[in-house]
Amino acid sequence: MPISDEAYAALEDIVGKENVSRNPAIMDGYAFQWLADLVRPNLSHFMPRPVAAVMPASTEEVQAVVRLANKYKLKVKPHGTGWYHWAAPINDEHDTMQLDMRRMNKMEIDEKNGIAIVEPYVIHAQLHAEAIKRGWTCTIIGAGCSCSVLAAACAFAGMGPAGFWMGGHSENLLGMEWVTPSGEIVRSGSFGSGAGYVCGEGPGPSVRGVMRGSIGQRGGLGVFTRCAVKLAHWPGRTDWPVTGTVPAYRLPIDETFRVYTLAMPSWDAWADAYHKIYDNEIGFIFHRQFNLAGADLAPAFWLMYTDPTKQLSDVPAILEEPGVAELTEEMRMSFQIVLAGRSKADIELQDQVLDDILAEVGGWKVERYCEKDMAEFTNLALNRLGHKHLNFVWAGGYLGSWMQAGPPDWVKGYVPTASAGLERDAKDGLLVQCGGDAMMGPGSAYPGGGNTCLEQFVSYDPADEASTRAGIKHMEDAITDAVSIGYPPGKEAAYLEMGHSDDRIFKDWAGAKQPFTFIFQRKFKEHVDPNDVGDRMYNYIPEEYEP
Amino acid sequence: MALEDFKADALRCTRCSYCKWIPFDLVKSHQFAKGCPSVDYNHFHSYSAGGRLVTMLSLMQGRSEVDDTVVDVAFKCQLCGNCDVACKVCRYDMEPLAALREFRRTLNEQGRVPEVYPKLIGNLREAGNFAGLPQADKATWADGLGLKRLGAGAKAPVLFHAGCRFSFDPTLRSAVRAAANVFTKAGVDFSIDPDEACCAGKAYDMGYRDDFTTAAAANLENWATAGITTIVTPCATCYSTFKRLYPDAAGPGADTPVPEILHTTQLADRLLKDGSLKPSKRVPLSVTYHDPCHLGRQGEDYEAWNGKEVKIYGQAVVYDPPRPRYIGANGVYDAPRDVLRAIPGVELVEMERSREGAWCCGAGGNVREAYPEFNAWTAGKRVEEAKSTGAEALVTACSGCEKNFAEAVATGGIDLEVLDVLELLERSL
Amino acid sequence: MTRDLVSLVGGTQVLDDRDVLASYASDESFVLSIKPRAVVRPGGEDEVHALVVWANRTGTPLVPVSSGAPHFYGDSVPSVPGAVMVDLSRMDKIIKVDSRNRIAVIEPGVTYRQLQPALAEEGLAIVPPLYPRANKSVVASLLERQPTLIPRYNYALTEPLRNCGVVWGNEQKFSTGESGNGVPDIETQWNAGRRLLEPKGPAQTDFFRLLTGAQGTLGIVTWASVRVQLIPDSRKTLFVSAPELDDLVDLSYRLTRLRLGDELLIVNAAYLTALLATDSAEAAVLRAALPAWTLVIGIGGRALRAGQRVAVTEQDIAGEVAARGLELQPALPGMTSSRVDAVLGGVAADPHWKLRAKGGVADIFFHTTLENAPGHLATMLRAAAAHEYPMADVGVYLQPQHQGVSYHMEFSLPYAPEDKADAAKARALYSAASRRLMAEGAAYFSRPYGEWADAVYNHDAAARDILRAVKKILDPNNILNPSKLCF
Repeated sequence: MPISDEAYAALEDIVGKENVSRNPAIMDGYAFQWLADLVRPNLSHFMPRPVAAVMPASTEEVQAVVRLANKYKLKVKPHGTGWYHWAAPINDEHDTMQLDMRRMNKMEIDEKNGIAIVEPYVIHAQLHAEAIKRGWTCTIIGAGCSCSVLAAACAFAGMGPAGFWMGGHSENLLGMEWVTPSGEIVRSGSFGSGAGYVCGEGPGPSVRGVMRGSIGQRGGLGVFTRCAVKLAHWPGRTDWPVTGTVPAYRLPIDETFRVYTLAMPSWDAWADAYHKIYDNEIGFIFHRQFNLAGADLAPAFWLMYTDPTKQLSDVPAILEEPGVAELTEEMRMSFQIVLAGRSKADIELQDQVLDDILAEVGGWKVERYCEKDMAEFTNLALNRLGHKHLNFVWAGGYLGSWMQAGPPDWVKGYVPTASAGLERDAKDGLLVQCGGDAMMGPGSAYPGGGNTCLEQFVSYDPADEASTRAGIKHMEDAITDAVSIGYPPGKEAAYLEMGHSDDRIFKDWAGAKQPFTFIFQRKFKEHVDPNDVGDRMYNYIPEEYEP
Repeated sequence: MALEDFKADALRCTRCSYCKWIPFDLVKSHQFAKGCPSVDYNHFHSYSAGGRLVTMLSLMQGRSEVDDTVVDVAFKCQLCGNCDVACKVCRYDMEPLAALREFRRTLNEQGRVPEVYPKLIGNLREAGNFAGLPQADKATWADGLGLKRLGAGAKAPVLFHAGCRFSFDPTLRSAVRAAANVFTKAGVDFSIDPDEACCAGKAYDMGYRDDFTTAAAANLENWATAGITTIVTPCATCYSTFKRLYPDAAGPGADTPVPEILHTTQLADRLLKDGSLKPSKRVPLSVTYHDPCHLGRQGEDYEAWNGKEVKIYGQAVVYDPPRPRYIGANGVYDAPRDVLRAIPGVELVEMERSREGAWCCGAGGNVREAYPEFNAWTAGKRVEEAKSTGAEALVTACSGCEKNFAEAVATGGIDLEVLDVLELLERSL
Repeated sequence: MTRDLVSLVGGTQVLDDRDVLASYASDESFVLSIKPRAVVRPGGEDEVHALVVWANRTGTPLVPVSSGAPHFYGDSVPSVPGAVMVDLSRMDKIIKVDSRNRIAVIEPGVTYRQLQPALAEEGLAIVPPLYPRANKSVVASLLERQPTLIPRYNYALTEPLRNCGVVWGNEQKFSTGESGNGVPDIETQWNAGRRLLEPKGPAQTDFFRLLTGAQGTLGIVTWASVRVQLIPDSRKTLFVSAPELDDLVDLSYRLTRLRLGDELLIVNAAYLTALLATDSAEAAVLRAALPAWTLVIGIGGRALRAGQRVAVTEQDIAGEVAARGLELQPALPGMTSSRVDAVLGGVAADPHWKLRAKGGVADIFFHTTLENAPGHLATMLRAAAAHEYPMADVGVYLQPQHQGVSYHMEFSLPYAPEDKADAAKARALYSAASRRLMAEGAAYFSRPYGEWADAVYNHDAAARDILRAVKKILDPNNILNPSKLCF
């Protein structure tokens, strides 16, 4: 149902005429989403259209908009940069207002204590740039530096390649400001007690415990309007001297840094290497990054990519060049690591420790990728994560499957099945054939080591219906494959969920091993969202579905 | 071309928002990270390149209709090309800038254009220039300089093409005269055309393709007749129009090929390096240089292409033959900087957003004429950035940029001199 | 009631002897002394569950406790009459230890005295709080977010707590963290290769965070997985001393920022004396000899090239120390580093080191940033002077947490509980100083014990609202440790 004129006029009063719209074309700008084609009827690239798009500039405006939603029975769906189909309205039956938070974009850094305070539209690139100037750095999420820090920290996941050393945003959170669906303002930790951003826990039981968990609310339960995260020390140059020609920008490697691509002889060795990296506490950034292009093609792909005169059609020729076939075999089980020393002695020790580890597990440094050009590119790519949209490079469509997190010994258990599955599903050419192993993942999904994960990068052409259907089939196959070897469904299940009816989803959650999780969340939702202005991105099961 | 030609791009857009920012590797601060003035000013996602692709898709699929908002979305954009550069950091299969131009052309064909456009194109059709000023005054800027003039039957290999704004705007006179004086001093044998025709690049951006093609064909014909083999222009827009848009207008294997196109900074750079120009007077000034969109990002060499999309490895999208990639890196960035560095006493300090990451001055895409507030805001942002470097002067190489910055500095009461590169060079000769 | 309880846990595990009940009725804090009705000692999760079911049916308050006495903060003293103490100390199994994944799974009755040697057999150790008593429950310490000694490993303030098995007050058996995604059975998950490492979730709630700082008001934890570290193969303890706290601030910031060192803590002479002195004579000697302020720096080398690691770390620390005009010392006047090592790595014997000086102690502690610490100290000393409490007796402990972003700051105020006047003075000072520190704004009382709760939850009414909503779901009949926090 269209938004009433009365409600719309009220929105104009709150945010200003120029900051609200209900024009159909503007609305489609919000309905259009990556992954929509995999879950919507007729492979549509459009999620449900919002009834209005609103851009508040302050917490007070957000609160007023949320209260308006309660009055006029509208749903509220905020987003930061708005990337992922669940950032959009999710249900055709709902009348949803999209809150585009881009006008809330302020940030500050407490240099002394290494704390950054951000509003929703501060992206990681901005935070990283400001931190570096001051000798700090920050974890950047796996989706890349184009994404909102706050959205990742408060409302989604928050982990990335630097998580082993710098933590994920959840571990780094020092305070959140949350406008609940009923329009109350809740601030977590010391922030709520008026004591600044020093501590994200408490008071007593941590209030932040209901604000986000292993994953956040993804816009489904109110609006986050500010948060504080802790930073990590940056022992490098503070002037960010990027060189090179787009897209092959490079960052010279400071003398107390090392940047390597390491290869392993087996998955057992890979798991051993990860444990040794954990135990020896090296690995400033530690990530299996380059393999996203597919183990058969990745080495050639990155050689192509780092030559600005080349393009994708050059990859086959590069594969034929002398040494590249051998390089491809060499790099089948490889990952990237950046070491950062606080002193010359420290980095020399780290280097020796790494050599010891390689000797113990039978791994080695991939010489070509450790040469200056590739190493400087790797240095920049991993530190700034500004090339993460290469997920889409092959054909414009990417979906991630698998990515179940667990100890390295557990994760390596699904690699063969995941690889065989992609190889099988790509056999008829409807998905990009890059080798079965196109898996990428952080060295550790938790600071200090422990769980890792590997995400399969599956490339399809969203402009091609048959290819899109093959992508959907792959996601369904990946669930079957995982369950068949005793693993839980992975990331693809979260994508597919968006296309399932409420009835199906509620039944799924009711059938979970621990349904009380969703019962608790329903009861909590009833308290903070009595008029149901949120959506099921905050997972719950209605009373009638309780087992 | 038609909207449908960009349907695949629209479907392959993944709403990543790279098009809103400068290439992320280049971001050095919170304040100077944005790349797209349109979405930064207008906010709604539709005002980004990705958002416009969505709007095109929405229209193609009949989900919405062209209304005033859609017209606003399509035309309230400088076509600065930042989106194109940023998108292409990761994507080999996308052509956002071309899509944005096609969007305009499509709406123009439906008669849906900003209010001021009919007047502007009317001026071109009637007066031969978009300002609607008497063509007879076109060469007034050169009065007293004793420059060779093209006349009936006269041949000259090098033509100095001032461009309409430099020709007519008295506030920009010193810049265009400085360029001519510099080349005269260097002994370059060149002429001006007292009946210089407009490059008509603005018509292309407005979507009046036929007007553009007609004007381009006429220019190419006239130049061929006059035996011109090199065009030198101080205007970045003319430069980019001639270099990148004229070859298509000329058509493949045309009898009237496009001459060598040089920007004044490129010629000056050559002359400095071959010793024809010897700057001797000190010009003690700290300056920051603004890369005009049409000289930098859109100043790359043109490469003809007539191919098709093919797939390898099942679904990987490539082109046969390989499609030229205009990545923005190979524009004219070094020549103006080398000229500035050659001037004794000049200290060059870079803005954070420079080269292919430069923020637009605001004037492009006919925004200056159609959306004056947006234009002024964009220029104001750039002037702010220039001021933040601590430089005493903002130097650039385009009439539109210079005009916009001069106005922004005056409006904002900002202590910053606005100069053309050649003006500064002239001071040192 | 006794009959009911006996049927649930067995006759020998129900205690209602008057002296026993009296021992649970009060602790070292100033909270009201209220006797429980009985003490029960369940042996496992099923018995805990049965107790919770029974408590809901009968409306009986339950107060969980895992550590032995002395208790200090009033959280395990009943705040209402007729409560039953649920003493979990019998549940003392070390269920799992995995050195490759550096995780252990333990029951709540496992103490530091029990756990550390068991871990040591595998070359492991859990990062402890400062000198815990031997009968201190590891799970209880972690649940109450007691600060731990190695800031580098304190990735979050909840570390090293990972997953928990819990019986909520509403009778639900539940597993938090990644264990909540699977079959709720440790063996099944372990056999499937899971190691209960990820603490977050499940879903959009960090259930384990609701348990931390909760003083047992929401659920009774029946097991927990805890992250452990390698024991250093090479170790050293060094010191930097200074006349003023201010002198150590910059260095401490730098060391935590660079992740230099293992144990890092700042103590004043009074606090350090309390830690080390075995009797009053030794205390007097130490008080006279020890410097006013000491930054204790532990250095550990683990895994490969341990010795080299220690050497390089020491070299880098020495550089930072020297750059600030300070001196890195291998010992302190009056004592050796090995004495301090025993504190850093050991468990404390009876009587508790905090109680040795005068028999009683009142602790004021909160979270702050280091730059504010000197200001808090000044506030505390002013309050002490105003209450005629000897300033020299105020023990001060600063523990960097969360990799240096925040500091646990603690003022330890020994007093003689048998001396009514002294006790009254301490009581008044405790309240007044707490109020002043709260009012300053930069001291965050993240663990609002006793009288702090009222002030904290009135100030942060939004938190109170949220937590009461949570309480209503997880313990609708308010049978778990009622009248604590804001419940």
